Amino acid sequence: MNPVISLNAVSQHFASAAALTDVSLSVQPGESVALLGPSGAGKSTMLALLDGRLSGWQGEAQVLGKPLLATGIPSREDRANTGFVFQEFALVDRQSVYQNVMNGRMGRMNIWSSLWGRFREEDHMCVTRALQDTGLSDLASRRADQLSGGQRQRVAIARCLAQEPELILADEPVSNLDPAHAERILSLITSSARSRGIGVIFSSHQPDLSRRFAERIIGLRDGVVLFDKPSAQLTSGDIDELYHGASVTSGLRVVS
Amino acid sequence: MGRSVIWVMLGLAILWSLTIGDMGLGKLPGAGPRLAEFLGRMIPPDLSVWREVLTGLAETLRIAILGTLFAVILSTGLAVLASETMVSPTIWRPVRALLAVIRSIPLILVAMLMVGAVGLGPLPGILAITFHATGMLAKFYAEAIDNVAIAPVAALESAGANRIQQLRWAIWPQMAPVIMRDTVFRFELNLRESLILGIVGAGGIGLYVQTYVRSFQYEKAATVTLAIIILVLLSEALNTALQKRFN
Repeated sequence: MNPVISLNAVSQHFASAAALTDVSLSVQPGESVALLGPSGAGKSTMLALLDGRLSGWQGEAQVLGKPLLATGIPSREDRANTGFVFQEFALVDRQSVYQNVMNGRMGRMNIWSSLWGRFREEDHMCVTRALQDTGLSDLASRRADQLSGGQRQRVAIARCLAQEPELILADEPVSNLDPAHAERILSLITSSARSRGIGVIFSSHQPDLSRRFAERIIGLRDGVVLFDKPSAQLTSGDIDELYHGASVTSGLRVVS
Repeated sequence: MGRSVIWVMLGLAILWSLTIGDMGLGKLPGAGPRLAEFLGRMIPPDLSVWREVLTGLAETLRIAILGTLFAVILSTGLAVLASETMVSPTIWRPVRALLAVIRSIPLILVAMLMVGAVGLGPLPGILAITFHATGMLAKFYAEAIDNVAIAPVAALESAGANRIQQLRWAIWPQMAPVIMRDTVFRFELNLRESLILGIVGAGGIGLYVQTYVRSFQYEKAATVTLAIIILVLLSEALNTALQKRFN
């Protein structure tokens, strides 16, 4: 089977500081991968890069069987096929929960009818199902700016699910959720990945939760892949090294 | 600048103003009775002029509506050029400076210039309101553009929405309430300000104010004044009611 993601020696620099250095990895269809690492490790950068929103990086990247270009944004169809859960939710505050989730369908619908708000039955069904799956059905008509942080995060997830992507990239998708909701959401995302054969990468600061729901864990620190192994093989030593170990490039930083 | 310096300058400004030549403070004691007598001559208001008053008010209303409409159209284009997020500083800086200059010219002055340019009637009034209101509306619209949060727009783009869909479902929903609020607010100002346009011959009810006062027909002037008060109160109530809907 072709991988849904394949990175080969990818590096990204922002204003002379390295955000990602020589990253290589691949994700298979149906596989759920957790991205762990301290703040500033490059998790968000890697996810945004895979979403096709970054430019100027080096290396080779393939997403859903197509080469990702370091210039310009992907086509409408490619963007629709890759779902993204934003860390800061990125909701339209004055819109209802329902419309925010419907926004995830934009890449799948006829542009002209979408401008008039004429959505197909199919689109309404996807939105309704995504709201049910994330436990938001009762809040559908509520305005997004009247929700709690956790509810907003679930709207962001519902928007991504309604998009029916073939790959889900989620930037700390459960950071604002209570334990029960966090488990429900991660189980939802990873089980739908398995059943539908789509790939999932989510970043997280919760090693235990990540190990339970992801099949593989990638440890990222200072833009470098520290380890990439099946969840079952993850040791507490790995976690210690990831969060408390000496900085991989700190020597270089001081010199530069 | 130190705080004490500001207080000293304020004090000096007041003292300087008090030295204004022949203020005629001696006239003040007699002003009360004279004002009472003047007001007495306005009572009872002569309601027989209701037809003229309604015609004048209707013209003022039309001037305000058309002036606002044209200002909205002009401002939509200028706002993009005055937006810090849409164009480079070499464009928005001069455009904003121009808008500031436009705002700084009093409406009545603009109206006099327009009367000079196109003659008497409602047309110079409409042009004056358009010109004057654009200075404010274009600035407000530009701020509405600049205050649009980018993250939701990026989210729609990431989901596959094209530019027009992003505009319709992420940018416009953020801007619309601000634009509506600013426009209704400006319309109320336009209506108030256009009431006096007739004094310089730029159309509307102002003409009757001037005519009746100049010809000492205070009972008729009283009717005009009452009509203006009612119109302003109504427009204020309408504005308040609409503002609640935009947030």
